[in-house]
Parts: sequence; C-alpha cells; structure tokens
Amino acid sequence: MTAPSALRVGLGQYSSAGRKDTNQDFHGALLAEGSVNETKGIAIALADGISSSAVSRDAAEAAVTGFLNDYYSTPEAWSTKHSAMRVLEATNAWLHRQTQRTALRFDRNKGYVCTFSAVVLKSTTAHLFHVGDSRIYRLEDRTLEQLTSDHRYRVSDEESFLSRALGIESYVDIEYSELVLEVGATLLLTTDGVHEFLDERSMAEILTQPAPSLDATANRLVTAALEAGSYDNLTAQVVRIEALPERSATETYRQLNELPFPPALRPGEHFDGFKICRVLTVSARSSVFLAIDEASQQRVVLKVPSVDLRDDVAHLERFLLEEWIASRVDNPHVITAVRRTQPKRHIYQVTEYVDGATLTQWMRDNARPTLDQVRSIVKQIARALRALHRLEMLHQDLRPDNVLIDRHGTITVIDLGSAYVPGLEELGTRAQAQHMPGTPQYLAPEYFVGGHRSTRSDQFSLGVIAYQLLCGQLPYGADVARATSPAAQKRLRYRPLRGRNSELPPWIDLALEKATRIDPMHRYDEISEFVHDLETPSSRFLRQDQPPLIERNPVAFWQGLSATLALVILALLILRD
Amino acid sequence: MAYLAPAEFATKMVDAGEAKIFMSTKDTIVRAYMAGAILALAAVFAITIITQTGNPLIGSILFPVGFCMLYLLGFDLLTGVFVLCPLALLDKRPGVTVGGVLRNWGLVFVGNFAGALTVAILMSFVFTMGYNTDGGPIAKKVAGIGEARTLGFAAYGAAGWFTCFVRGMLCNWMVSTGVVGAMISTHVSGKVIAMWMPIFVFFYMTFEHSVVNMFLFPFSIIMGGDFSVGDYLFWNELPTALGNLVGGLAFTGLTLYATHVRTSEDRPRPVTAPIASTPASA
Repeated sequence: MTAPSALRVGLGQYSSAGRKDTNQDFHGALLAEGSVNETKGIAIALADGISSSAVSRDAAEAAVTGFLNDYYSTPEAWSTKHSAMRVLEATNAWLHRQTQRTALRFDRNKGYVCTFSAVVLKSTTAHLFHVGDSRIYRLEDRTLEQLTSDHRYRVSDEESFLSRALGIESYVDIEYSELVLEVGATLLLTTDGVHEFLDERSMAEILTQPAPSLDATANRLVTAALEAGSYDNLTAQVVRIEALPERSATETYRQLNELPFPPALRPGEHFDGFKICRVLTVSARSSVFLAIDEASQQRVVLKVPSVDLRDDVAHLERFLLEEWIASRVDNPHVITAVRRTQPKRHIYQVTEYVDGATLTQWMRDNARPTLDQVRSIVKQIARALRALHRLEMLHQDLRPDNVLIDRHGTITVIDLGSAYVPGLEELGTRAQAQHMPGTPQYLAPEYFVGGHRSTRSDQFSLGVIAYQLLCGQLPYGADVARATSPAAQKRLRYRPLRGRNSELPPWIDLALEKATRIDPMHRYDEISEFVHDLETPSSRFLRQDQPPLIERNPVAFWQGLSATLALVILALLILRD
Repeated sequence: MAYLAPAEFATKMVDAGEAKIFMSTKDTIVRAYMAGAILALAAVFAITIITQTGNPLIGSILFPVGFCMLYLLGFDLLTGVFVLCPLALLDKRPGVTVGGVLRNWGLVFVGNFAGALTVAILMSFVFTMGYNTDGGPIAKKVAGIGEARTLGFAAYGAAGWFTCFVRGMLCNWMVSTGVVGAMISTHVSGKVIAMWMPIFVFFYMTFEHSVVNMFLFPFSIIMGGDFSVGDYLFWNELPTALGNLVGGLAFTGLTLYATHVRTSEDRPRPVTAPIASTPASA
C-alpha cells in the first residue's frame, strides 16, 4: 500500500497503427508501489521503430520491455541516472549486435533500430532519457514546452534522417535532463506520427479539455493527428502528477544512495531482516554467509564486499553490477538474485542458496569420475554459458570454485562478478586495468596478450575444467599465465590426456584439445559443438588420426621443404652442363 | 576499519603465493632484480649512517625505508616468496606444483642476486673513486662485517654454521611478519608502519637476511674483505637462505595458514546443567 505521502500519478496511453498495416510503436509503463516506488520510482517509456525496417517493431518492443524490466532490477545503490543509462547502453549494444549478426547489417535502413523516450518519476524529480525523434513535452499554463530535442538530420524539406537512435551504433549518446515536479504537472510523450501532424497549440488544447479519463485524452490526440492526415504509427502517453511525497521521503532516499557497508556479521545475528546462520566462505574479495530471510523463511546467501576492497570504487561498482547481472539472466544453471520488497540498508548481495559443494570439492571426492558424469557436468555448464552468451555477456571467471553441484548432480554457475557486459565497457576497463578478470589457471590465453575476447574465451575455460575433471591436471599446467607474448604462446603445447588417463577413448582427447586451443580461431565455433563432440566421435577426428606435419611440427615441415628445394637446386646445377 | 580480518588476509596470502607461481619469467626476474637492488641501496644507506654516527640504532631505525619502497612498488624478495609460494601448494591450488615453487624461488634468487651485485659494483666504484682510493672507513667497516660473519662462523664449525642458520630463521620470522603486516592494512601509512617494526628489529639484532647478504658479502670482498667466495656461499649464504626458508614458513606462513585458512571447529562448549526450576510451591 502506498502511504498518503507517496508519489502518485495518473496515466493515459493510446497507440494506433493509423494508416499503416503494422504498428511499429511500442509503449509501456510501470507504476511501482510501496518501497520500490520510493527507491526506483515510476517509469514510462515509448519507442518508435524505423519504418524502413521489418524488424523494428521487435526492436521497439525489446527496448521498452527491456528498459522497464532491467531498470527495476538495478542495484538500489545506483542513482536513477546511472541505472537508466546502464540499462539503455546495454539494450543499445544488444540491439546493435542483433543487427550485426544477420544480413540486415548490409543495409543501414534495415535492422534493429528504434527511437526511445522515457520518463522516470522518482520522489519529486522527473528524469528524462531520450534518443531519436519521439518527444517529451511538459504542459504549463496551457502551452506545451518540448523538453527533448529531435535527433534528426535534415537534408532537405522532404528528406531527413535519424541522427541518433538505439541500435544504430555500438555506442549511443543518450540525452538526459531533470525536471522538478509539482502536483498537477502534466507530461506528454508522443511519437512522430502525432507531433508531426499536430501543432503544439492544438495538442495543448486537447490536453486541457476536460475528459472522462487520461486514456481518452491520449485517444483524442491520436484521433486528431489521424484527421490531420498522419500516415505514420501514432502513440501518445499522458502523465499527470497527482501526489508528491514529502521532503522527508526524499531524504531517506538520498541516504539510500550512499548505503553504508554492513557491520562484521556473526552467526546468530539479525541483519536487515535476515538471520545469519553461518559463514560459507571468506576470501580477500568478499565474505559469503548463509542466512534466513525472516519474512519468507527462505534460505539465501548474503555476499558482503571484503574490507580490503571497500575503498576500491571500480571493484564496488562491479560488486553492485553483479547482482544486476544475476537478475537479468534467467536460467536454472545460473545463480539467481533474490529480490525483496524491503529496500536494502547496506551494501550487500542476496542470491538463492544452492545446497551443494563446489566442483573443486566434488573433484576431491570423485577422483575418477565416469565419462557420463563429466559429460553431464560439462553439458550443464555449457547451458549456463549459452544463457549468458545469448545476452551477449561473457562469464570470464569460470573455474571449479565457481561451479556448484548438488546431490542430484545439478550444476549452478555462480560469481558473475567478472562478467563482461557489452555497453558497460567503461566500467569493466577500469576494474580490469589492474587485474585480469578471472583466475590464471582457467583464463583463456587471449587475455594475457590483450587479444579479442569472445564466447570462445569461455569455451577455453570450460575445456580446461573438462580436462581437469577427467585427469585432475591442467592441459597446459601453469604455462598459459606465464606466456605473455604471442611468441611465447606459440611454444605452448597441449599435454595429451592419453598419457594421464589411459582408459579414455582417444577422440575425447581431440575434442578437449580443440576446445582449449591457444588460438581462439582454432577452437569450436560454438560451445554446443564441443559438447556434441564429447558425446560422439566426430567423423573429422576419425579421419584425421594425425594432424598434418605443418601443424605438428612447422619447423620440421619448413626444414624439409627447404632441404627438398636445396636438392632440386643442386640437381639443376649439376644437370646444367 | 583500515585493516582486514585475519581470515581475509590469510586467503590473500595464499592468492599472492599462487599469483607468484603463475608469473611470467620476465616479470619474476625484473621484480626480483629491482627488489635486490633497492634493498642493497638501503643497506648501503644504513651502513653509511652507522659509520658516521657510530650508533647502530639509528642505522637500524632508518633501514626499513628500503623494504617499504620495494614492497610498495610490488617487487619480490626471496624471503617473501619463501613464505608465500608453499602456501599455494599446501592449499592444492590447481596447476601449482613443487616444480613451479622451486622455479619461482630459483628465478627470484637469481634476480635478487643480480640486483644486489649491481649495487655492490656501483657503490664500490663510488666509494673508491673508480677503484683508485681505499674506500675510507665504510670500506673498512664492511670488510670487517664480511669477515666476522663468514670466517667467524667457520671458526666454530658446525655450531657456527647452525648459528648462522638460526639467525636466518629469526630474520625471516621478523621479515615475513612485516610482509603479512603490510597485507593486513589497507592504507599506505598502515602498511609502512606494519613493515617498519619487524624490519627494524631484525636489522638491529643483525639477523641474517639472504638478500641483504647477497649485497653485503660481494661488496665486502670488493672492498678488501679477507675471505673467499666459497667461504661466503658455504658459511653464510647457504645457511642464511635455508634459515630464512624454515623460519619464515614455520613461524609465519604455516602458522597463519593452519589457524586462519584451515580453521578448526571450536571445542564444544561445556553444557551448563539446566537449572532445576522447581515450581514455587506455596
């Protein structure tokens, strides 16, 4: 229930395809209540897909629903601006990648591109986020004031192009502004199908006319634009501020923005609505506790940043980001963040509790697992990785300590603290400038020479884990981390599994070797191919029992070739006379 | 809170040891070379103060500057890797082998020695005007130290050798306490204070530090000390290095690892007999 002093708004929306066959506009709003209203506010968003593209409707829908979902799962400690910007940058990068991976990338007018305008109302402030040529207006004294600028490049009166939109480039410059709210203030969001055909005065007139509901007002705006000859999709959203919170609520919010670190937690203590049961692990990066949520009586895991890293801004940013990433990924094999209605009063993460052991422990307990056990583990980790990769994210710290296995053999991948999220590179580079993202034993070689990271980097880590599961050792020992130049990497040699575990069929070795090749281009294109090759001997491997000489020993190959040429020259010299 | 909980820094020690084993050859050598050189310069600095003031206390108080500098710059001393690397092995970190630990120690030894030797040559050149003068009181002092701590031990045979060994143990007990102390604090000031105290203690009591000696004895030979390279290696460097290894590992590394990483269960608390509460009868 909202308190009498909470922010309350009235909302009217209407969208129509107009004279077109399909409606490529998409709009939505989330009128949050209770504590979420206080910490995250109310969000209203609208997107307009470019008419030249057939998939732009999907883009508009992805942008609006993605924004509304992801914004509310950002950490409480992030400011509104920071949260929304991060979400939009990630959405933009995702849309851009969708275009890049299809044939649509060859035509700039096609692809996953849309305009985007959103208002986040929180406490007594409206935060505006805008890119493209949809508009946000404010009604004041019966006149409309346009709060956003049109990102449009006009060639002539007839021709103009969007200069900025979501999904055009891998980076997007989002227009941001703030506005202090008053009770009774009215905001209007429209797509170009409306505002291109109605002038501001007639729109203001419609807005001030008495109407049975705000939906009716939005409907009237759209109808008026249609009558004025609009040939585009039309969408209008009207927001009226009905009640604003008192200042004190604003102040509580401000405190939330500077959340303190939790005190030293001990078993048996009560903390922020949790009862601490016991310490799970303590490391130089974080302390992890098992706790019971006193409201739901559910067992959860609390993760608290270590004292050592509390002054490290980049590390803390990643720490907060981790929970957000966990709440974005929806997969049974990836750890899920626990969302609670009660706002947090300290900096910490809450995730579900998995009743199981780490894969490291499991390997100690099962020194000689069967091939089937290993396959099942690898397959499940691969599923978790695919869930991350579909969102264009990389795990980057896949190692046995970060894989939990329960009694039934179900795998959960944890620790997304090193994950790479496109669009958020500037966060990552700062945190990763000093440290490698993962753990040297499992990190792909390209990280050590500043190479390009890709899903194949996670594939390498998975390959190393599979290798270790089968024989307890690493395919390159400790040598990968020590080889910090391409020349040194060329000298690295895969140590065949056959010598270490003779019971295995030889084609398993070939699959592992391919997944852990030093050059990422020589690994599998997709992790699923690796999983498949662990199950059935690939015909490629059966045919090619031994790799060609040039791959096995390039020096010998070239020496041999040179010797042959020398002999030919010698023969020619002798035969000359 | 400007310091870490014991369980946090104990895992940090193991992580640090693991990272050193995975370090590339180039980085290991460069960091060891610089550490040896900076520590050697600090030793020259301390000896200069001692000969000028005639008071070893002042030299000892100021000697830790060298250690603080090299630690803050992230360089590695043999005494430090003696303590940290075996912990990664004990913790069964994947890819960490006995060979990897020995490789690291060997590289750090070579790097430290090369760095210390470089400073010994540079400083002897400076003190003797390019080997034209006798080097003055400092040369005499250093030559005296060199003889006392090689031939002096040799005069007592095995007992002398073990005296040097025990002095090496005591030295790295102190020095590695400094290394760990620096890990506990999260601020530069705290790190410096934590390192300063034990280094001061070891230097004033003339415990044997394998890397300081890598400078002191070659320098002493150059400055006219009357003992052979063989005397130095057998009667000083060998027992010192072994003593450093045993002392650092036994007194600091293993104890902290055993209690803070492999923490045992608390002993069962004595169950207090429930107070028999008899209903108050009228």
